[in-house]
Amino acid sequence: MNTQTDTSLIRNFSIVAHIDHGKSTISDRILELTHTVEQRDLYKQMLDSMDIEQERGITIKSNAVRVMYDADDGKTYQFNLIDTPGHVDFTYEVSRSLAACEGAVLVVDATQGVEAQTVSNALLAMNADLEIVPAINKIDLPSAEPERVREEIEEVLAIPADDAVCVSGKTGEGIHDLLESICYLIPPPTGDADATLKALILDSYFDAYRGVVAMIRVFDGCVRSGDRLVMMAEDQRFLAEEVGVKRPLEQPLPQLGMGEVGYLVTGLKDPALVKTGDTITGESRRCTEPCPGYHEAKPMVFTGIFPIDNKYYENLRDALEKLKVNDPSLTWTPETSVALGFGFRVGFLGLLHMEVVKERLEREFDLDLIATSPSVDYHVYLTDGQMIEVTSPQDLPKPEKIERIEEPYLKATVIVPPDYVGAVMQLLVEHRGTSNDMVYLSEKSVEMHFDIPLAELILDFFDQLKSRTKGYASLDYEFSGYAPSQLVKLDILLAGEEVDALSFIVHRDKAYQMGRGLCDKLKEIIPRQQFEVPIQGAIGNKIISRSTVKAHRKDVLAKCYGGDITRKRKLLEKQKEGKKRMKSIGRVEVPQEAFLAVLKVDDG
Amino acid sequence: MSLGALYVHVPFCVKKCAYCDFASSKTRADDPLMDAYLDERLGELDRCADAGLLDHCKTVYLGGGTPTHLGARRIGALAARIQLLCPQLIEFSCEANPDSLTDDVLAVLVDAGVTRLSIGVQSLDDGELRALGRIHTAGQAKERVAVAVKTGLDVSVDLMCAIPHQTDVSWRRTLEEAIDLGVDHLSVYPLTIEEGTPLEYQYRNEPTPWNDEDVQAKHMEAAERILAIAGYSRYEVASYARPGKRCAHNIAYWTGVPYLGLGPGAASMLDAAGYDHARKVYRWLPPRKPDSVRMRFSTLERDVEFLSSRETWAEDLMLGMRMTDGIEATRLDIAPQTRDELLTRGLIERHGNRLVPTHDGWLLGNELFGTLWDLAVPSP
Repeated sequence: MNTQTDTSLIRNFSIVAHIDHGKSTISDRILELTHTVEQRDLYKQMLDSMDIEQERGITIKSNAVRVMYDADDGKTYQFNLIDTPGHVDFTYEVSRSLAACEGAVLVVDATQGVEAQTVSNALLAMNADLEIVPAINKIDLPSAEPERVREEIEEVLAIPADDAVCVSGKTGEGIHDLLESICYLIPPPTGDADATLKALILDSYFDAYRGVVAMIRVFDGCVRSGDRLVMMAEDQRFLAEEVGVKRPLEQPLPQLGMGEVGYLVTGLKDPALVKTGDTITGESRRCTEPCPGYHEAKPMVFTGIFPIDNKYYENLRDALEKLKVNDPSLTWTPETSVALGFGFRVGFLGLLHMEVVKERLEREFDLDLIATSPSVDYHVYLTDGQMIEVTSPQDLPKPEKIERIEEPYLKATVIVPPDYVGAVMQLLVEHRGTSNDMVYLSEKSVEMHFDIPLAELILDFFDQLKSRTKGYASLDYEFSGYAPSQLVKLDILLAGEEVDALSFIVHRDKAYQMGRGLCDKLKEIIPRQQFEVPIQGAIGNKIISRSTVKAHRKDVLAKCYGGDITRKRKLLEKQKEGKKRMKSIGRVEVPQEAFLAVLKVDDG
Repeated sequence: MSLGALYVHVPFCVKKCAYCDFASSKTRADDPLMDAYLDERLGELDRCADAGLLDHCKTVYLGGGTPTHLGARRIGALAARIQLLCPQLIEFSCEANPDSLTDDVLAVLVDAGVTRLSIGVQSLDDGELRALGRIHTAGQAKERVAVAVKTGLDVSVDLMCAIPHQTDVSWRRTLEEAIDLGVDHLSVYPLTIEEGTPLEYQYRNEPTPWNDEDVQAKHMEAAERILAIAGYSRYEVASYARPGKRCAHNIAYWTGVPYLGLGPGAASMLDAAGYDHARKVYRWLPPRKPDSVRMRFSTLERDVEFLSSRETWAEDLMLGMRMTDGIEATRLDIAPQTRDELLTRGLIERHGNRLVPTHDGWLLGNELFGTLWDLAVPSP
């Protein structure tokens, strides 16, 4: 294959959309029309290789596939389709993927219109100076309103939408026009092919045989197998063992030239060394400036993860290390709990990331785990002038030693139909949010901007938002900084014993309400035992709430004759299975979900 | 070979009750299916007898469904054949419902040598009976039970607590009226709302305070108290009898006596020798697994369970603890840790050389039985 591609025929682009607006079906259709169809199933498998990604319909890793398109002008274009993670937890990863593109196809559902992530993705794309090709999808549906959506795109996003292509990922209608638009509207890459190498790492993954493989975009120069290279952030040197492209199977090439996107086998064995957003250049001849925008992914949400049976502690550590191989953003430190024994305090990019990791640990490594309530990274200023970062309620110093506590805040955006503005405002008040302004995007949607503590958002804010707006609201947010707050530690006592793993940090004004709510919720979750179990909420030595799990009165299947014995035994075995998934704390059997009960406390 | 008990299942009813999830179906009295079914069972009984399986059978139980729904002719034939083939019978029970326990049926049962009737009364309150989907009234039930008692047969009634519309008062009245009828035995159990039953469907989105575990416990305790005063002592979780009137057949289930079950809802439990005999009748039975000492199978599902001696031991402990007499203390000598745990938790206590369930052990039977059944798997 000729690797000296005419750069004027290269189109690097990404497809961005609000969740469920049809990004993957459109990708599928593009593969079909570019005759990558034979391998489409394989491609799907490769892109969404994790069960959980497929089940949840989300992409967690970035990836890039090269397809060749024979355009109407008789030329063959090289498309590098760069797939990006589709969730607000992964905004940084998305921005790195977009930095590798010259254009983006912005998919908007013809029945839903512009939603929060449409806006945030469009803004990310515009900030990355990408040419945006709007595509209005699902026009085959009877409820499609392409004209209204076209207006919305123009009004809300200020993107000229006259040329917006109407497509149906389902029927394939309009996909050919979309491909033509990509050729005409998205500019080819520009760069200096003769300069020293400058390439951006979009993402990386671990290959058991070859070590870390980086997905890269070459901005200047070119990279050949055998080149001696360096990653600029930490001056990490390595040898390019192989370069190539995915079509979607890996196809080794002698080189990747200016403007091209492909993979690079680094031979490095430690995934943490290869950082998304870092710049690769020649070891001896270096480029002067790295690609802009690099920073280390910082965990936002922290939770304790413990094996129910402590003898699996080492298995949990191994499992985390294995996951980290393909998810370098995962961080952890050992944590000890009186109630739960040995485990880890694990840092995540967001709540979804946390759920996915926990699910993978349980499913792929067959571990029974307890996750404790998620926390954020509090900055605690001590009376001696020192500042410590606290990610676990257990580590919060005694109140008399604390001068002040600061907590992380977010700038958040909600887009919602005007009818629900009141409901969202109410929710904001309950979650310590402060509204900044409100913009009518159209008659049918309002964009609300507000500040909210991250700690509030990681409780049940999103679910509440969805339920109070009947699913219409969409949410997007970014970290904005730290601000002081009146925070206290709320402890929970079971049968008179404080259970450290149930403690959490809460705003003083909400402590009573949360204490009461949590005691009630725990009462529902903790099954009756042979004896009565009082549940108490306490701040310091002061009991602020109380509930009681009544003692078990009767738990026996009265009838047991000849034909029932096997059934009866199976029932007992099932009961035992259920118990295995509970944690004995003192004499009390506590189910896993009790430790996340704080997520389920109703605010109302 | 020590097969001691025979169960014959009759899967026919006039109508299925709202709570019922047993193998039975609504069948018209003139449905030819009943004759076909009868012929099949008679043939099966003959083959079992030919294989020597019934030689030492001491107790028989005709269960349902509703055996009396077969009608006088058919149930008479079935009972007579059983009587003929089981020379060592000491107890012959038949389940009955008030609506189908006619004078005719009663007469043929007496003639055929049935010794004991277990009548499905469930409640003596018409509103409660309707809610359960029973087709008889309280008056009808009382009249039929009284007639049955007069025949001189041992009579037991089944009563249910924690059912819709039931109150403390109505439960007490049901118990007292049943006692007044002069029955020898009562089975008392709380209603279980089984998945897939009309009752479950009806209350799927409604609270069921009348079935609350506290209510169940309260009613079970009330029954024990009231029945004790009237001279009925509890000998098993749900069973009460006057002196000498315990049900030998049911006791067989709880004391590891091998039994044979015929019909779709029945299971058989055999020892090694019995199983080898049974393979002559049931050709589909696979060869015995080398280390198994107890086999349990159902002819309908054609599945066999092979229990090791350890599993058999644990199962016997679990079943034994259903009874007031409990188990011989020495049987737990090899599991002192479990024994001490159960003693400490107050689920069992010592009575001379026996270990017996406590009041908590009764009510929290699943805790007790579960812990004993755990012994089936040797601890690592």
